[in-house]
Amino acid sequence: MTRAFLSGMWIHVVMFSRNPFDLSGVVLWPIIYASIAYYLLDSKDNPRLLLAASLGAAVMLMWSLVVIGSSNALENQRWLGTLELLVAAPVPFAAVIAPITVASGFVGAYALLATLAWGTLLFHVPLAIDHPLAFAVAVPACVLAIGMLGLVMASTFVLYRAAFSLGISLQYPVWIATGLLVPLSVLPPFVRKIGWFLGPYWGFRGIREATLGSAPWPYIGMSVAISIAYVAIGSICLHYFERVARSTGSLKLT
Amino acid sequence: MAAIEVDGLCRTYRSRTGIFRRRRAEVQALRGISFQVERGELFGLLGPNGAGKTTTIKILTTLLLPSAGSARVLGHDPARDPGSVRRRIGHVFGGDRGLYDRLSALDNLKYFADLYRVPVRDKRQRIDELLELVGLKGRERERVETYSRGMRQRLHIARGLLHDPEILFLDEPTIGLDPVGAREVRETIGGLRQQGKTILLTTHYMYEADELCQRIAVINGGRFVAEGTPAELKARVLERTVIEIETFGVEDAIVERLRAIDGVASVSTETRDQAEVLLVQSRVGAELVQALLRELDGSRVGKVITREPTLEDAYVELVQTQ
Repeated sequence: MTRAFLSGMWIHVVMFSRNPFDLSGVVLWPIIYASIAYYLLDSKDNPRLLLAASLGAAVMLMWSLVVIGSSNALENQRWLGTLELLVAAPVPFAAVIAPITVASGFVGAYALLATLAWGTLLFHVPLAIDHPLAFAVAVPACVLAIGMLGLVMASTFVLYRAAFSLGISLQYPVWIATGLLVPLSVLPPFVRKIGWFLGPYWGFRGIREATLGSAPWPYIGMSVAISIAYVAIGSICLHYFERVARSTGSLKLT
Repeated sequence: MAAIEVDGLCRTYRSRTGIFRRRRAEVQALRGISFQVERGELFGLLGPNGAGKTTTIKILTTLLLPSAGSARVLGHDPARDPGSVRRRIGHVFGGDRGLYDRLSALDNLKYFADLYRVPVRDKRQRIDELLELVGLKGRERERVETYSRGMRQRLHIARGLLHDPEILFLDEPTIGLDPVGAREVRETIGGLRQQGKTILLTTHYMYEADELCQRIAVINGGRFVAEGTPAELKARVLERTVIEIETFGVEDAIVERLRAIDGVASVSTETRDQAEVLLVQSRVGAELVQALLRELDGSRVGKVITREPTLEDAYVELVQTQ
């Protein structure tokens, strides 16, 4: 199973690297998101706030790349006719799908660092990290949390033909519910409660606290814990949706 | 124990159409088919498009659940115990799809070897053997998008054999291939049969079934209309004579009149270049030629040939009369 997982990640990264459109997006999007953070907030006089905005923009991009990347990858599998072969493989289906979302997560991690780097380079956003060790742990923890939320959502992508459209529409609710787009304090209280169940909420807070705050570890711990829960939920969902797809005969449909 | 046992297998596809007035549509793809495939046998499912061949294979390869009936593959139920079935079978679908185009053949095979749990120490040797078997040795580092259809299809077969499955399911493996490519694929399948692999092959090419299969089931409209060896199926029409009449633009009403002639078993039409060829199966030998030509009086008629029936004639007879 480990071999299938690692092999799947490698295949996904190679496929991604051979698509010029995807590659150019990964280069351009961090610059765009860094610009949004800088110009939208207009807080040149408050470097800490600027850094917080940059972090938010970077995690937004990370989530987008995971949810769009994995939905696009699964839709591609459908078009290539390989989805049926993946379902029919003797390894658990989660071990086939998880590498796609985790590989997208690593692309997202690169985008996070690139967004911060461009912010520093172009707009002089100060990259002063209060807890470097916690930051080094928080980033992979956030990748894991986002990747595993992608796994849960990918189970629905297996069932529906328009996975890519579904992926795009899933970007915004997570941005809002995790407080990436606007502060949660301005939203109704129930939105905050929804955010508690989302990995990116804890992942983002882990990174933010490691950079600007005082106590990053509880958030990082929650991020890892929720990722583990997602693995279990994702495996159950994938098993269920696989059976539904076999029942409806929708695996081959494009 | 047979390698494959199918008993009363049914499958109904349900769909909904319309936005405001939702209408349900049902298509019965399989209507209670039963058959067995013995170990080491090459069994053919022969039928026109939409007959239920692919649906049967999808159920047996665990990709689809049956609506009713049961199936056993090497003693395991593909609906309830898919894991045990998946480890022991290989499946190859015809057509262009099912491969990662941007990767090389070698990368495709390496990935699927990992998915199908081929031991690491055997992986490279197994891939080399299969590349040799399907004639792709030396081309394995090229991207699949540069391959011809025939090469892709042979790569599909190599992929299906990676984990040395006990049963191989081949779903129209030569569809869309040029004659040379199709012959190469048939030679590969023939080689696998000689190695003693159990193979379930679906096709709508008669000569392919005749050349490769030890037993054939003809399927039409989700039901089996005949089952036997190619020789047994041919024997069903052996006492008949086939009269081929080349015509140009014959009306349907005339074809109906030909069918009504005493001694005519069936009439089918086939387009060949500019001409429409009437294939008349006669129960009374060639004596019918004059009667047929009388009915065609006024139509433009070309060559008239009388010949022995082939498996294709048996197939046409079975599919059209059931």
